[in-house]
Amino acid sequence: MEKEKIIEVKDLQKIYKKRKMKELVQAVDGVSFDVYRGEILGLLGPNGAGKTTTIKSICGLLKPNGGAVYINGLDSSKNRLKALNDISAVLEGNRNLYWRLTVKENLEYFIGNRGVSRKQAQGKINELLDLFNLKSKENELVSSLSRGMQQKLAIAVALLADTEVLLLDEPTLGLDVETGYEVREMLKRIVKEQGKTIIISTHDMPVVQDLCERTVIINGGKVIADEKVDNLIKLFESRAYCFTITDELTEHQKMAIQENFPIYHINENQIEITLEKDDDLYIMMDILKEEQTHIEKIDRTTVDFEQVFMKLIKEGSENETVLASS
Amino acid sequence: MKQFWHLVNANTRKEFIELKRYYPNTISMILTFYFIFLAMLLGIHVVGDPQMADTNIQYVIVNYVIWFFMLMTLQDLGFTILIEAQRGTLEQLFMSPKGMWRILLARITANFFLNGTIVIFLLILSMLTANQWLYFRVDLILPIFLITTIGMVGIGFLLAGLAIIVKQIQSFLQILQFILMGLTFVPLSVAPYLVFAPFVKGVDMIRHVMIHGYTWTDFTALDYSALILNSIFYIVLGLLVYLRCEKVAMEKGLLSQY
Repeated sequence: MEKEKIIEVKDLQKIYKKRKMKELVQAVDGVSFDVYRGEILGLLGPNGAGKTTTIKSICGLLKPNGGAVYINGLDSSKNRLKALNDISAVLEGNRNLYWRLTVKENLEYFIGNRGVSRKQAQGKINELLDLFNLKSKENELVSSLSRGMQQKLAIAVALLADTEVLLLDEPTLGLDVETGYEVREMLKRIVKEQGKTIIISTHDMPVVQDLCERTVIINGGKVIADEKVDNLIKLFESRAYCFTITDELTEHQKMAIQENFPIYHINENQIEITLEKDDDLYIMMDILKEEQTHIEKIDRTTVDFEQVFMKLIKEGSENETVLASS
Repeated sequence: MKQFWHLVNANTRKEFIELKRYYPNTISMILTFYFIFLAMLLGIHVVGDPQMADTNIQYVIVNYVIWFFMLMTLQDLGFTILIEAQRGTLEQLFMSPKGMWRILLARITANFFLNGTIVIFLLILSMLTANQWLYFRVDLILPIFLITTIGMVGIGFLLAGLAIIVKQIQSFLQILQFILMGLTFVPLSVAPYLVFAPFVKGVDMIRHVMIHGYTWTDFTALDYSALILNSIFYIVLGLLVYLRCEKVAMEKGLLSQY
């Protein structure tokens, strides 16, 4: 069965004028991807890659210079307020809250701002307080809560809107391991039990590996990968080799490796490389053979998502587009 | 309409809770008002013409209350934008499908109601303390005042729009109180062209009620038309400018900047 698209980002373009300068910066350049109903999508990229611009364009907080974002088929820049009925977001984590209001007062205030009465929302508020283990803290000021609790409350505020799509910018930033795990498990439950669609923007790669089915990686304002997380890992695992050698590499060999393999790592007697095509393996053999370097063994290396991400970013900065799935 | 009521309700509750939580601010505001009213009630007897004392006191106090509400209406929306941007909650408010302008309208309605209650309570308390009672035509002054306020809300929106784009406008918002004071004290008979300025017509009509004892029938249809059209003009202008500024801020990515 074909998955149903809930968000379509089409050829998004955003140009900013640098403050106090005449220089123009292309923050996002033709970004296109789809988000399917009921999935957790990871939106990744290094700082300044264009993630926040993309996220804010989806939320309708930024007007793109070109392209469009469709939420449930509605062009969000033309029907911003209508589109916001289907989307809620946690953009600045605990800064999104009123610190001098209590947990419950925050929930009541934000839902009131969506035109819902306190009475109507009471059931849902209690449900969320239970889900996020915040019931015992409901009358405490947000300023007295731990960072983890504040983050959970910020997510609860977004969930209270009961929208189909939830956008989370760095949901685990600054959380300890235990709370980070708790938040991840909660997000999985929300998707499973409530059928929500979640877009996560993060630098936390274990979070992506654990939570996201699919990932869109942006670098330099362009999509450099749009693929299932598992597929990316498999792809890189099949392309990653580790050569164990007994001799030391000459400077000439090191330079040759650097020239031929944009992604490589040399550590004493081990050389890790990622192949772009199968023939690249022979190039590596030739480089070693040239100086009669003895090869002890050749292994396929296991990679985690963090390495995949780093490799993609590195490759992406050398070649424009690395991967773009169908 | 029902949904707007929920917005007003939520914002009134929030503002009331914050008045309680930031109690040093609230107490100083209450004390300031109490002593100003008391000083006016007792002081004008000493410095003014004894024959005109009652009229003077009423006039000065009503003018002061109007000035306070006008200033609050003008500054509140701009300050709301600045404070929310500083806290980091501005973008979250912009994520409401009701639209930020409706939240701002709910916020100003809430503050108007809360501050109105406090000021009326303090006025009565200071009259009790001074044993000086003011008698003025609330039935006449209140409708004129409320219509005038609608135009002021428009100017408030205009300033809120500027605050979204240029966040550092605190000094300008402070200077406004002197501009307002000037406009409050210039009668239309001296500068008739000020009828086109916001709120001057309303203040002038209140002045006529207070000093010359005008009633409903003493004002002409032209007076009422000028009052109503002035308010409609400024509320429409304010909203249009605000919405335009919102659009510009979204185009330039200025919403979250402070």
